[in-house]
Amino acid sequence: MNAFAAHLALSLRLHFRNRIALIYGYLFPLIYLAAFAVLYRHEKIPLLRHMGELLTVSVLGGACFGLPTTLVSERERGVWRRYRVAPVATRSLVLSTVLARFAILLSAGALQLAVAFAVGMTAPANPLGLWIAFSAVSFAFIGLGLVIATLADTVVAVQALGQCIFLPMLVIGGVAVPLASLPGFAQHISAFFPGRYAVEALQACVSGSGLSGARFSLAALLAIGTAASCAGTKLFRWHAQQRFADRAGKLWLAAVLAVWIAIGYAAETRGRIAPSTITETAPAPAVVDPPWKKITSRDIAEFNFNLPSDEGVVAPMAPPDEEPPDEWARGVAIVREKLPAWRPGLDTDEVQRVRNLLCVAAVPDAVQHPLERYLPRVVFDHLIATHEKTDLIKILAWIAQHPEDGAVVTDLTAVGFDLPFSGDSYIIREREMLYALKFIARLTGRKPE
Amino acid sequence: MPAPVAIHHLSKRYGRIEAVRDLSLALNDGEIFGLLGPNGAGKTTLLECVIGLREPDQGSIEICGIDARHAPRAAREKTGVVLQQTSLQEKITPREALQLFASFYPAPLGAGELLERFALGAQADAAFDTLSGGQRQRLALALSFVGRPQLLILDEPTAALDPQSRRALHDDIRRLRDDGCTVLLSTHNLNEAEKLCDRVAVIDRGIIVATGAPRELLRESSAQQTIMLTTRPPLAPERLRALPAVTTVRSDGDSKQIETSSTTTTLAALSTMLAEQRSTIVELRVQPATLEDVFLRLTQSDQPAATL
Ligand SMILES: Nc1ncnc2c1ncn2[C@@H]1O[C@H](COP(=O)(O)OP(=O)(O)OP(=O)(O)O)[C@@H](O)[C@H]1O
Ligand SMILES: [Mg+2]
Repeated sequence: MNAFAAHLALSLRLHFRNRIALIYGYLFPLIYLAAFAVLYRHEKIPLLRHMGELLTVSVLGGACFGLPTTLVSERERGVWRRYRVAPVATRSLVLSTVLARFAILLSAGALQLAVAFAVGMTAPANPLGLWIAFSAVSFAFIGLGLVIATLADTVVAVQALGQCIFLPMLVIGGVAVPLASLPGFAQHISAFFPGRYAVEALQACVSGSGLSGARFSLAALLAIGTAASCAGTKLFRWHAQQRFADRAGKLWLAAVLAVWIAIGYAAETRGRIAPSTITETAPAPAVVDPPWKKITSRDIAEFNFNLPSDEGVVAPMAPPDEEPPDEWARGVAIVREKLPAWRPGLDTDEVQRVRNLLCVAAVPDAVQHPLERYLPRVVFDHLIATHEKTDLIKILAWIAQHPEDGAVVTDLTAVGFDLPFSGDSYIIREREMLYALKFIARLTGRKPE
Repeated sequence: MPAPVAIHHLSKRYGRIEAVRDLSLALNDGEIFGLLGPNGAGKTTLLECVIGLREPDQGSIEICGIDARHAPRAAREKTGVVLQQTSLQEKITPREALQLFASFYPAPLGAGELLERFALGAQADAAFDTLSGGQRQRLALALSFVGRPQLLILDEPTAALDPQSRRALHDDIRRLRDDGCTVLLSTHNLNEAEKLCDRVAVIDRGIIVATGAPRELLRESSAQQTIMLTTRPPLAPERLRALPAVTTVRSDGDSKQIETSSTTTTLAALSTMLAEQRSTIVELRVQPATLEDVFLRLTQSDQPAATL
């Protein structure tokens, strides 16, 4: 048997002999699975929709913690120093370590999928694509694991460094918290971390259009993996006292970071920041009453109707009989004319539809456009004309209660308003909420006109 | 046939410290060669340069005629190494370790054979962290032997062993030599060097201060032998001091300790004096110089004795 095969076999055998490694490698992924199942049970969303996140968490744990922990503890014990004085190529030993880890990750992923099936998940849309995406994700994170192993002198340092990569990706990188529910700034940050691309690539194969829908993510993962693997192999240390921090070493680390930044930049310039909507192939959940129907007059009474003045700079609104000055009258007329046919204003989801319409009032307000006084009135009139009054009040109330849900429309060119908005979508959400409350105040007679 | 190890003008510094200074050394085929030296003398640094764990600043190292700095892998195929401490993975078994290392060499020895030879049969399938210190050291020696080395390099191989294990390891090392292997080892233990090594080099502050067979070193060194003498009636110290070759005389009650650079000369003159004085010998002992005396003299330090 050659050194590569012998070390591969030994690595696997030792892995299955190590109880701690088994707990981290196999039990934790199942615990994540259980946690997700519990966390999202009220949403009636099939597990399938979260499989991308779940698999990513498993790979992250195995590759960015498991791999460097094994490597560094062996190095601390002097095992690698001993290998060093034998006639064996670094390449064979590192490559076999990496391949063993890949096999371990594959088995953990397969176990996770198997258990998910057992508790009722439907089959992934594209199993072959999923396997390819999983391999790309493993490649990217194993590369990072190697980099961590070269940077850390001790197992404790591995844990600390691993957390530095793990936690941000989990929380604001789109791994544990879905991108759609993250604020705008986090969506921008997530574009610079590989976790997001891992989730996107996996999820596309689980419940989306397959690999063809995740080309950018796949490319990002391969680029990150290649840079990290090169750096990890070049910087590989046989013993802890060996310094990596010569100039060439730092350059390799800089290269890894440069790839992350380049990918984030590419995502920014290609407009890939907002979460891609994945076309569902899974069966639609049974029809149930939308949650806004449950809004009561009691809920509405709890709002604070002490709102900014209609004449101020925040959320202004012209009275019904005020005509815009001549120079703006045409702009207002165009919006009024185009609004009924505006596609976002016809969204089949009532709440999202009303949100989109509110944006037509909120965006001009946010950019302080001279039309900001008049467009809220146009939107209000349109809403009254197209919605049943009690439903409209409830939908507006739901939006005011959940300003951070759903999507935001910032591009209003289709209604003839072409001032671009480039700020934080949080402002739009805040203004939407204010207009929703102002409209409720008028509809419920709290604010007579 | 090229020397198993030939070191030419080797230097290695760590910042300001010159750990090895322009050191040259050649080993003979089939000998056990010991590196002796006080703490910090540069023994480990020298061995680590030879086995390729450290990059020397200057100089060349040839192993069996192979330039070790330019063809490290070929050199490693000829060399077996026992580091001062070999800790393998906690759960690996001796058999697995031997099988893994067998895959590194072109013509390895079988695991079964080595387990038997190094008395590890009973522990063949036990986890590494359950092995005793001596068993671990035997495993380390077995691992160094997997590739049928022509040269064996051992850094303080017996430092952590009890007397029995140490003796067993000495026997092992001698057996390896008898099989045609050349052995280069470092040690703190002068007794060990004296018993085990065919030749030793005493290193101090990065240079070799003496080389030779332990006996030869003793002979060549101006080390003093001591004659312990008790007579009745006692002889006066002044008279003893007047004997040829005597350097100092100390009294300890009736007993006298006579240090001499030549026992033969002194004893010949002494017997004449005893006859003249009509004095009879109660006790006469000659104490040879030890390697420790040589060592202390050569390394001119007050402290090493405490650490030896
Ligand atoms: N990694 C290092 N960095 C800096 N200085 C070092 C390093 N290793 C050794 N030295 C210094 O080099 C000198 C030689 O050390 P070396 O370990 O070779 O001595 P030694 O003869 O093996 O000593 P000992 O008998 O205590 O093991 C010492 O002064 C030591 O302090
Ligand atoms: Mg040493």
